[in-house]
Amino acid sequence: MIRMFGVSKIYRNGIKALSDINFHIKKGEFVFIVGPSGAGKSTLIKLIFREELPSSGQVIVAGRNVARLRRKDLPFFRRKIGVVFQDFRLLPDKTVFENVSFAMEVVEASKSEIRRRVPEVLELVGLRGKEKSMPSELSGGEQQRVSLARAIVNNPEIVVADEPTGNLDPETSWDIIKLLQQINLRGTTVVVATHESSIVNMLRKRVIAIEKGRIVRDQQKGVYNYES
Amino acid sequence: MRVRTFGYFFRQAVVSILRNSLMSFASVSSVAAVLIILGMVLLLGLNVDYIASDIESQVEITAYLADGLDVKQVSEIGQKLIQVKGIKEVKFVSKDEALKEFKKQLGDQGDLLEGIKEDNPLPDFYRIKTINPSDISEVAAELDNIEGIVDIVYGKEVVDKLFKLTGWTRLIGLATITIFAFVSIFIISNTIRLTVFARRKEIGIMKYIGATEWFIRWPFLIEGMLLGLIGALISVSVINISYYYLTKTVAQSLPVIKLIPFDSLLYKITVGFMAIGALLGALGSGISIRRFVKV
Repeated sequence: MIRMFGVSKIYRNGIKALSDINFHIKKGEFVFIVGPSGAGKSTLIKLIFREELPSSGQVIVAGRNVARLRRKDLPFFRRKIGVVFQDFRLLPDKTVFENVSFAMEVVEASKSEIRRRVPEVLELVGLRGKEKSMPSELSGGEQQRVSLARAIVNNPEIVVADEPTGNLDPETSWDIIKLLQQINLRGTTVVVATHESSIVNMLRKRVIAIEKGRIVRDQQKGVYNYES
Repeated sequence: MRVRTFGYFFRQAVVSILRNSLMSFASVSSVAAVLIILGMVLLLGLNVDYIASDIESQVEITAYLADGLDVKQVSEIGQKLIQVKGIKEVKFVSKDEALKEFKKQLGDQGDLLEGIKEDNPLPDFYRIKTINPSDISEVAAELDNIEGIVDIVYGKEVVDKLFKLTGWTRLIGLATITIFAFVSIFIISNTIRLTVFARRKEIGIMKYIGATEWFIRWPFLIEGMLLGLIGALISVSVINISYYYLTKTVAQSLPVIKLIPFDSLLYKITVGFMAIGALLGALGSGISIRRFVKV
């Protein structure tokens, strides 16, 4: 589902974010990308949904080489990928329901589809009854649930999350991770970048560890680091 | 594009216009200003053409005679006129007859001339028809040499003078319109830029979700076009109301001047100006969209 061959990324300001990255994430996998801040986790995530292009090497996502995507195909490529951010990125002047239905409006889903699908997804993330709340009225965990609902509402093949628990307390973080796991159980490939060791250690999923832009470890049923 | 999607675009556009009310107001006013000036220049030009062709169609030369000539002198001039090559018909009109004609032309307002009956300021004149209308200038030049004739007026000459007068008006008008058109495109593009800026977060999210470029662009384009259309609507109202009263007033107080009737212009100007307004708006927002909405 996601393959990288000899990928490196040097930003225009000369910062070398990634070098010689190779991995293959199969359909239906759950993968943690771990490493200290500034290791290149975010860049890796950005390469997956083509926010950034690799400076060299190949990035193949959902059967498409991202470097060869034409501008007009890019939106349709991105519809295959749900993205979750650390800062939630909700629209403050829209209700919970609207924040989610917005994603369906953008892909021009029909009204009846939206009316059926949005409550379904809100139920899944445990936000039933909060449809009419504004994001400002919600806790951080609830806001991240809305953002998760938005990411999956269009049934993407892949969900990528960049530090989804970065702004949350441990207990809420755990809820979000369980939700991601649930999404994964339905067949969606999930990639989570995080630097929170407790979560990674608890779940025992595949772990790709990055340090200074290089993969230092790629381990099935892994933990955050060797020592622990 | 689905109809419902268009409804979504339209709502977004209206919300933006209301939210940036001050800039929206500036945009609308600038478009209205351009179109009002355009309307004034257009109406002036059209009416001059209309009046000019009316005058030009009268292929007559009016030769005004000097004041205080006796009957013999007048008939002598008449004799000379008939002999001029190219003249078909010569008719003497005395000052009394001239007054009567003028009175008839004024219609209802004819009473105004009652007071000047005793001291008629109008001169005697000969009304001359040429055999060939295109010879009129040469014939008129020939008449200039005849003694006793003080002034020669014919349609083409009046028309030339009229055009000379309006030529400048048109030029200044067009220059003003061009400048104002650029100004309004600039103001609209700034308004849209503000909207784009206010929505940058939303635009970013739309891109992640997989919105197409045009899905993101349409609301801004519609916003610009709406601003242009509202401006056009204001200008059309102003122009139509003003022109309605102008034609009414002129018909009452200056019946000699025949303006283009109000009804025949209304429709064309309305449709044309709405189109121009929408175009200005689309151009303005197009500039900002190109520069600030990129996937």
